[in-house]
Amino acid sequence: MNEQVSKLQEMGKLMQTHGLELIIALIVLVVGLFITKWAVKNSKILLAKIIKNAATISIISNSIGIILLAIVLITAAMEIGAKPGPLIAFIMIVVLCAIGVIVIFRPLIPTLPFKVGNTVKTGDLLGKIEATTLLNTRLKAFDGKTFFVPNRKILDDVVINYQFTKTRRIKVDVSIRYDQDLVKAKQVLEAIMTADPRILTKPAPQVYVLKLTSNGVEIGGRCWVNNAKYWVAKCELLEKAKFGFDNEKIKFAYPQLDVHHYKNEESAGLDTKELFLETQENQA
Amino acid sequence: MKLAQGLKVIAKDWIEKPKGFRVKYQKRVDSKLVTKYSPGLDDNTLDSDVTTWRYAWKLFMASKSESREIVTGELVNITVVDDSDRQVDYYVSGKPEIFNEKR
Repeated sequence: MNEQVSKLQEMGKLMQTHGLELIIALIVLVVGLFITKWAVKNSKILLAKIIKNAATISIISNSIGIILLAIVLITAAMEIGAKPGPLIAFIMIVVLCAIGVIVIFRPLIPTLPFKVGNTVKTGDLLGKIEATTLLNTRLKAFDGKTFFVPNRKILDDVVINYQFTKTRRIKVDVSIRYDQDLVKAKQVLEAIMTADPRILTKPAPQVYVLKLTSNGVEIGGRCWVNNAKYWVAKCELLEKAKFGFDNEKIKFAYPQLDVHHYKNEESAGLDTKELFLETQENQA
Repeated sequence: MKLAQGLKVIAKDWIEKPKGFRVKYQKRVDSKLVTKYSPGLDDNTLDSDVTTWRYAWKLFMASKSESREIVTGELVNITVVDDSDRQVDYYVSGKPEIFNEKR
């Protein structure tokens, strides 16, 4: 009990003599960390305008971050009375080592090709990344199941990151019957895509004739949308295409089979089997 | 006319692309019909006409009454407008549509 009281008394004396320096050092540390984080973030944005290589941008901005962090640590340490000479020497060695590791080994260190919050498909799993650790990645599928996937499995597999780019292309494919107005159908589909506020104007929506199938003409609409709006926009464009075609009396294609019924004098009196064989010959 | 100029003309005048959509409706307040919007004029618009029409229909279903008169709290003349307050055609019929039309 006495020991604890004496320790508290010592701490009280320490706060009386060096309290102000400690508080200033703490403020320097906190403010410095905020400034460092801000500087790293903004240097990445600035560098992205000049340099195209993402790895180079990352190396430069991280190096800036480490140097700023070192300056903050030295300043904070000096505020509480640390001698600048050996401290600066020690921290500079650590900084140089850290920058060396980043520059030399960074390209060799395997990194996961996504961030928390990205929608990703790896193997047969499709879902949103909830967290990543050194050993595994937590992925939440859209039906609510949570998967813990080993990172080595992800690194060995093909990964589709649906949010790596900001925009995605929507495909609106429909088939119309051969006797329908193809040009009108193209116009309706293009108008539906163009009028939607979510669809980007550049690249502009396009409509192509994709296939002449046995059932009808397949036309495909292509347009671009921001990633976050992809799914709902795609579903709603399909819905609007259905109603748009109905309103313009354009009929969709569906699987169909033409049956030709031959009725002539030669066929009269033939039984079913003979009639079938004759029909086959006619078709051949 | 250069191709780029032609494309600009098409983008400007071929099909109007609204920035968003709102539900426009009327409500009886102190024996007068007052026009209101949802989301409000100061709020962000919805970016989907399909969603906005669905929202309008649900508002109609939630507030409709059997009476021929406009009942207190009932939302009437419900329709969808764009960000410039122009009536938007109902995508299902391709024509203007008003839910619970009462005067």
